[in-house]
Amino acid sequence: MTESAFVHAYEVAGADFVNAGRASTAIKETLKHMGLAPALIRRVAIAAYEAEMNAVMYATRATMTLRVTPAAVTIDVRDEGPGIPDLALAMQEGYSTATAEMREMGFGAGMGLPNIRRNTDALDIASQVGRGTTVMMTVRVS
Amino acid sequence: MSGAAAASAAAAAAEVTLGDVRAALEAATIWCPDPAVRVAGVVAADLMSDVLVDARPGFVLVTGLTTVQAIRTAAIADLAAVVFVRGKAVPPEVAALAREMNVPAFASPRSLFDAAGALHAAIGHPAAAGRGLEG
Repeated sequence: MTESAFVHAYEVAGADFVNAGRASTAIKETLKHMGLAPALIRRVAIAAYEAEMNAVMYATRATMTLRVTPAAVTIDVRDEGPGIPDLALAMQEGYSTATAEMREMGFGAGMGLPNIRRNTDALDIASQVGRGTTVMMTVRVS
Repeated sequence: MSGAAAASAAAAAAEVTLGDVRAALEAATIWCPDPAVRVAGVVAADLMSDVLVDARPGFVLVTGLTTVQAIRTAAIADLAAVVFVRGKAVPPEVAALAREMNVPAFASPRSLFDAAGALHAAIGHPAAAGRGLEG
């Protein structure tokens, strides 16, 4: 890997449950090809997948931007959607506003954001109600 | 336990294979290129976020969730296989994705409870791995 960053963006469509997870799977494959440690890749993949599922469940569309440097893997998930009115509440394990359809897909247990936090070294969330949410995740390489 | 339907048991010794799991659950093979792959443990759940919390690499996911997300979750979390339970019909697109993503998959007529119990009996001694059923 060179000192310059690898950057790639992945588009995610809201409510597309059939393809939900494709972007995170592609990110995982990219990191594998880069030769990063399996345990680190797994953490990034789980965080990315949870964030992607949140975007599919709640947003109209989203862009996931992967950035890899020798120091860290960062993924920003910027969505156009309803936003999160109460971030502190959303971060609580078990809190969920998921619909029955989302739960039928196996998601919406209220573990998404806590699980992202568990698998990342830094997590920042910026949200505007009625506009959208940006989830910024960092996993340090070393 | 992070979810009502979730339970996990870490294998005391990685001597159980996918072939053993298939036999213990009287399961049909959907996709399994190598039945000799060893199993590190089991996670039983229908909520995929619970799986992402509880499962470790090499675990078998036992689930009643017959959607593509069960396969994608297994691939993301480096799981050894997915066993669909309750005799549910596995949609063709789910079987196709298992093959495409090289995620071994089986279908068992057992209930989630029975399947988890059978695998717990087969693998046994989760406490030896530092993690009990409440884990």
